[in-house]
This record gives sequence, C-alpha cells and structure tokens, in this order.
Amino acid sequence: MNNHFRFKVALQTMKDHLRITIILTVLFMAIAVMYSVVYPAFKDIMKGLGPMMDEQFRFIPGAQDIGTFVGFLNMELYQIFWLLIMAIIIGFIAASLISKELESKTIDLFMSNPISRKQIIFEKYLGLIPTILIINFATMFMVYGATIAINEEIKFENLFLAHVASIPYFLAVISIGILISVLIDEKMRASIIMISILVGMFILRSISLMIPDYKSLGYVSLSHYFNPYDSLKYGKIDEVGIIVLLVVAIQILFISMVIFEHRDITV
Amino acid sequence: MNIIETKNLTKYYKKIRGIEKLTFTVKEGEVFGFLGPNGSGKTTTIRTLLGLLQPKSGEAYIFGKNIKDSIVEIKQNIGYIPGDLNLYGHLTGKQLLDYFKSLRNSKDYLTDNLLEIFEVPLDRKIKGYSKGMKQKLGIIQAFMHDPQLIIMDEPTSSLDPLLQQKFYEFLLKEKKRGKTLFFSSHILSEVDKICDRIGIIKDGTLVALENIDSLKKKKGKIIKLRIKEKPETFKGPKDMSIKDGWIQFIATDDIDQWVKKISEYTILDLEINEFSLEDIFIHYYEEKP
Repeated sequence: MNNHFRFKVALQTMKDHLRITIILTVLFMAIAVMYSVVYPAFKDIMKGLGPMMDEQFRFIPGAQDIGTFVGFLNMELYQIFWLLIMAIIIGFIAASLISKELESKTIDLFMSNPISRKQIIFEKYLGLIPTILIINFATMFMVYGATIAINEEIKFENLFLAHVASIPYFLAVISIGILISVLIDEKMRASIIMISILVGMFILRSISLMIPDYKSLGYVSLSHYFNPYDSLKYGKIDEVGIIVLLVVAIQILFISMVIFEHRDITV
Repeated sequence: MNIIETKNLTKYYKKIRGIEKLTFTVKEGEVFGFLGPNGSGKTTTIRTLLGLLQPKSGEAYIFGKNIKDSIVEIKQNIGYIPGDLNLYGHLTGKQLLDYFKSLRNSKDYLTDNLLEIFEVPLDRKIKGYSKGMKQKLGIIQAFMHDPQLIIMDEPTSSLDPLLQQKFYEFLLKEKKRGKTLFFSSHILSEVDKICDRIGIIKDGTLVALENIDSLKKKKGKIIKLRIKEKPETFKGPKDMSIKDGWIQFIATDDIDQWVKKISEYTILDLEINEFSLEDIFIHYYEEKP
C-alpha cells in the first residue's frame, strides 16, 4: 500500500553500490589531488603551450587556457576525467542495474514482490544518485583543498557551480544507462554498448568543435550542454543546457519505464 | 471461490508456442498439481500468471482480479518459488529475507517457525550456500509473509529425500490452514501424495484436468500376461493390447473374474500391478500424438 514511499529498492541499490562508491570517491579525490599538485611543476611549460593548444586541441573547450591553474585543471581533470571517464564509469554501472538482474535471473524472484515495474526502474535510478553526489562533492572539496595547499587560486563559487552543473549531466548519463539496461539482458554487453555510446558522443562533440561545418553534430552529445570551463573560469552556467540535460534525463527514464513495463522477463 | 482462473491463456515467444488456450481454475484451499515433462509449458504458465510474461491472448484472474490490471496488488498475497531459483549472492540469508520483508506488507512474519523446519545459515553469504540451502531459503521467503496462494515451480528438485518429506508434511499443514497451493512437478509420486487435483499439460495445451480421487478410483489394475496359446485367442477387454507376446489390459472392475478367465489358459508369466499416476501420465503422453 504505502510501498511507494518507502524506497526500499532505492535503499538496497545504494547499499549494493556502497563499496564501489567509496572506491570511486577515493580514486577521484586522488586524481584531483594529483593534477592539482603537479601543476606548479608544469606551470612554465604549460604557459608556453597556450597558443599551440588552441590550434591542436580545439576539440577540448578551454584548452587554450592550459597555462593557468584553472585552465590546467579544466583540461586535465574536468574535460577528460570528469566528462568522459567519470561518465563512462557511471554509465557502466547504470547499464548493469537491470541487465545484471536479467542475466543472473535474480529478477524472477525479485519481481514476485508486490512492486510495480515502473517503480523498480525509478528506485534503481534513485539509488544511484547518491553515488554521483558523493563522488561529485568529495572531488570538489579535494580540488579546493589541494588548491589552497599549493597556493593557487580558484573561486570556490565557480568550483561549486561547476560541480552543481555536473549533476544534470550525470543524471542524463544514468538515464541512458538504464535505458540500455532494460533493453539488453547481458550485463557486459549492456555496459559495453553504453561505453560505446558515451565515447561516440565524445568523438562527435570533438569533431563538431574542430570542424565548423560539422558543428551540428555536437548537439547529440551530452557534453555539448555542459561545459565545466565556463563555470570554473567565469562562474557561468549554461541554463538552457541544464534544462536540456534534465529533460533528456526525465524523458529517457520515462521511456525506460515504459519499455520495461512491456517487456517479457524471460529466464 | 476461485483463487486462480484462466481463460484461453496463450503465450508465444515470438513464433514459438509457449502455452495455448489454457483454461483452468484453482479453488480456494486446494492443492493443485500441474504436471508435465520438461518443456511442456509449466514454467511459462506460472511466469505468465505472475506477470513476468505478457500473454498474447486470453485472460487470467487471481483472487478474482485481472492480472493485467492488478498484478501488484495480487502479488501482496502470493508466495513464489521459481523453478530456477537465483538469489542475490552478495547478500546473506538474513539480508535477503529482510530486504524482501521490506518490500512486502505483512504485519507478522513466520520466519522463525519456518527456520525451525528449514534450517539455513542466515549469517552466511548466499554465494556460499549449497543448492539445498538456497532452495530452503527459497521456501522460507515464499511462505514467510503467510500468503494466501503459493505458486511453486518444481520446488523439491534440489531437496534431499529427508527434506522432501519434511516439505510435503509442511505443505499438507499449510493446506489445512486453508492455503491454496499451485504446484508444478514432473515427479508423479509427490503429486500423488499431496495434490487434490491435477492438470496435465502437453506441448503447451492442457490435456487433462482431473480430481486425484476420481483418478484413483478409475485406476484399477494393470494385468500383463504371457500365455502358451496364441495371444490373439485371449478374450480380454476391447482395449487389450498385445506387444512382444505380452497381453496387456486394464482391469477397472472386479479382478476376480479376470483371474478366473486367465486360469483357463496356460500361463507363462503374469504381472498384476497397481495402475499408477505414472500410467495415466504415460497414457496421456503416448495416446495423442
């Protein structure tokens, strides 16, 4: 009856991902510290690289600014590790949420419990949100702490903005992952398809930034709607982008629910 | 009251037939045995009833409610033991039971009583369980919320004979408590022991639906004999068959007259056996190609 408000599946999903959340948090904190503390050593070299980067690395937003601390962090940590690697890891996990249960056939008994299919999808989705929030804000504090430790400067408001604006981006990633997860009943295959989609998006986005004629290709990429550089450097956020990401996240989550509602659970 | 009622329930896997036009009812307090060899559609029927598979056509009602609209509500009062039982290996037995309890809405749980009958190492991870332990945990979770209907797909397949016996006794007790049990099996002796009524399924269609008592009344004896005279000369009943010199027929009526008749011939060999469920089963499977 009041099962809708107890979120037991979400809670279990969180528990199931507790260990991986801790591992990833430590990992991203370590990466954040690593890139922060190596900056002073590379500072001078990087400053000279600026103009060349603008030409060669135009596919990475903010590459021309690699000579500054914020630009360096953006290039090394945010554009690569955050937008791509973190998305791949989160996508990998999300794509296995249902497919794992379909493959191991635990879904059979699980679904004999009085809970609707829509709710299963919704709660599994919810259950993964704490993972991204914990990694997200732990990384943020680590970057800020490391910045102070090495005597560099970054505006906390800007940093905070970049990490808050990350949330819709990762919500959309989880949604796509769940969609793959309800379509494919093999965990590994689902995760690999998910990674291919994310890498494909990254490539399309890169092409769109390098070749002006193909600018429109970038629209299909999630990272088109979220640029951490603008937040880190100028304290700006792309409001339209955030709305697009949230709409995409909700739409795809809804589609996943409908597909799961109508599919056969074959074992 | 009918606990389960299906009307022309049909399920296809793309073009392959799973079940075709199944119509049957299971009454309240009944132990219904669902018989059929592997691949006949038993599991498909069960999984369609539970809403895991979408039927192609036909309808099914549980507790008088259509499974299409009210499956979540229906499932509050169902216990289920899958044929291919898969449990979360990373959880301990206790964690699994607690998780499932949190998803159900029962006030009381009978877990302690069940654990007395079906002992499992609750604090160990399920990964390390033996097949029998997993099956016991499967039984516990199916009965712990004291549901009205328990659907079991070959539940005894990985239990040792001693536990099977315990399980049958337990089922009969549950029956006395007024529970409705739907039980699929291909083991005839267990069906014989605990079921009130059976449905026999073959190639996805129901070929028989009978009361076990009336089946037993019908069953009579199987008489097999070899005589020195030509087998064809034996004046047996109409459905008598001759195979490799063996005359075989079923004596449904008084056996005395048959023994007297047989004594008129020179007997080489004679077997008189109880007509078992097995024979009925084989009869249904062999007769209609």
